Amino acid sequence: MSDKYKLKKWQDLPPGGVITEGGNAADYETGTWRTWRPVWQKENCVHCLTCWVFCPEGAFLLQDGRTAGGKDRKEIKEIDYFHCKGCGLCVRECPVNKQGKEPALQFIREET
Amino acid sequence: MSEYFEVRWHGRGGQGTVTGAKSLAEAVQGTGKYVSAFPDYGPERRGAPVRAFDRFADKRIRIHIPVLEPDVVMIVDPTLIGSKSLVEGIGENTVFVVNTEKDAAETKRALGLTGQTLYTVPANNISYRLFKREIPNSAMMGAFARACPQIISIEALIKEAEHAFAALLAKDLVAKNLDAIRCGYDEVRNA
Amino acid sequence: MAEAMRQINPDVVAAFPITPSTQVIEDFATFVADGKVKTELITVESEHSAMSACIGASAAGGRVMTATSANGLALMWEMLYIAASMRQPILMTVVNRALSAPINIHCDHGDSMGARDAGWIQIYAENNQEAYDNMVMAPVIAEHRDVRLPVMVCLDGFIISHSIETMELEEDQAVRDFIGPYRGLHSLLDTDRPVTWGALDLHDYYIEHKRGQQAAIESAKSVIESVSDRFYRTFGRKYELFESYRIEDAERVMVAINSVAGEIKEVVDALRDAGEKVGLLKIRLFRPFPYAQIAAALRGAKVVTVLDRSTSMGAYGPLFGEIRTALYDAEPRPLVYNRTFGLGGRELFPDDIQELFAESRRYLQNGKVEKIFDFLNVRGD
Repeated sequence: MSDKYKLKKWQDLPPGGVITEGGNAADYETGTWRTWRPVWQKENCVHCLTCWVFCPEGAFLLQDGRTAGGKDRKEIKEIDYFHCKGCGLCVRECPVNKQGKEPALQFIREET
Repeated sequence: MSEYFEVRWHGRGGQGTVTGAKSLAEAVQGTGKYVSAFPDYGPERRGAPVRAFDRFADKRIRIHIPVLEPDVVMIVDPTLIGSKSLVEGIGENTVFVVNTEKDAAETKRALGLTGQTLYTVPANNISYRLFKREIPNSAMMGAFARACPQIISIEALIKEAEHAFAALLAKDLVAKNLDAIRCGYDEVRNA
Repeated sequence: MAEAMRQINPDVVAAFPITPSTQVIEDFATFVADGKVKTELITVESEHSAMSACIGASAAGGRVMTATSANGLALMWEMLYIAASMRQPILMTVVNRALSAPINIHCDHGDSMGARDAGWIQIYAENNQEAYDNMVMAPVIAEHRDVRLPVMVCLDGFIISHSIETMELEEDQAVRDFIGPYRGLHSLLDTDRPVTWGALDLHDYYIEHKRGQQAAIESAKSVIESVSDRFYRTFGRKYELFESYRIEDAERVMVAINSVAGEIKEVVDALRDAGEKVGLLKIRLFRPFPYAQIAAALRGAKVVTVLDRSTSMGAYGPLFGEIRTALYDAEPRPLVYNRTFGLGGRELFPDDIQELFAESRRYLQNGKVEKIFDFLNVRGD
């Protein structure tokens, strides 16, 4: 945990339990909840972004890329394991996985 | 609590008894006295017996209890006569003002009064003449000024009531209610 | 009270009518309809919704008011706590009325006394003048930066709320100058600085937030003293945390809340004329409770009669508990006992109060209390 989350004294809290910065859920590590880990196989991925749509934590990070035909598109860059809770929705919804081909997302036990 | 001059009104829901007591208090306040006025709410239904109270004094009024020993009893509805509550706590000097067209002496007998002063005023008659319905409270206020000029004169009552009514009523009704006060004052009979 | 609300001219009023507080909102609605205030009046479907809407509007940065009584206050229950712990300076008129059952529309203090632990500041009033004055002071107290808590201004149902009395109202501008403009903290509508209201606390923070709330309501005492002092200097009517009526050298003191204090003062005057050393301590501020100040004021009293106009079923009255706590460390400790009166509007007449003082004289002579707790004016005892 960062110093920011060091427990504060009552005198240091804003009145009424108000949270004065927006979007601070991003600072909260949900990655520790994970028992299964999705692993992205870049070489099998078609960048359809289905996983990015379904991910409840926004843990699929994107970057700019190009199609084979040279058009601009967004591509998967990596999985953010600070936030990924290991729910497996991405693995289940991946169209490449569903076609029974070499999987674009593997799902493995954390301890392995 | 002799430093207070206390009035007890008896009427029925819908006759403006509470408004009468409050308007009288506002008018008396206009003459520089301390006043309070309040109702005694029971089941709030048209026709149910209602009591309301006025208290007047030359100092700030601190008590809020119902009037137990009235200086004046205002009977807004003569069909209440026979009820014991009308004469509860009265003394020899208690003054009665009764809305009735009956003879004052007969009304005294009906109330079981002995030496007390009683004034009658045909407030319903006045109300029908002016409003075509039964709202006797303004005429009763006029009769009060006749019975208790030491509390408020008719001139002061009409002047102060105009302010009190203006907050509640449209202009033409203010004028009619002032007429009702004047008629109430003029048509009082005494026994 | 409606007149005070008009002068305060709040941003939002959300209310649901209930006897005997209905007239407050009815009159205020007329002011809204006549354009005499700029208030957004929200007519909600229940008191729970009324308080919810007040909390939302207050968190959005508005000055917010409402009014209720009895069962209406009870229906606000969970939201009362939320208003206080979210530190929203909402202002509420509570016209005290008995709680059902049986249904009763008349005065006792069971409603606001039941809400005494909700975290609201509670200020009580003997008459219409005090209720008006307290409401004029309420926003200044509630919105003070060290306080930021909601305030209930309580007055007796019917006895006060439905009486007209000679009183002094102040000029609109003078009242507005006294109160000043309101600036909300951390407004929900401030999109440049987004905030979250109503988030979750677990055992790692909840008690810290409660500790802060306790500090805030404690500091309300000195804030109320300074606001009352400024009120006195501005408008000439003096208020303290409680009213001491002829208690300086009193041996026997009655402690009471709200309108009955008027009747007690009359009796105190009469007994003083007869040479008896009696007095009245009238509670104004019940939450926070000024223990030390009351203990100091009652120093020298030998018998203290505490009148509660509410019950805490199975326990002594709520005011009694506080007064006896305040006096526990007094040296010498006075005799203190409790009488419950006036539930559901039952009157307490000056003769009854005379009798009470006669009883306290007996206790003083005998040096002991015969009955610590009893109901007054009840058939069957």
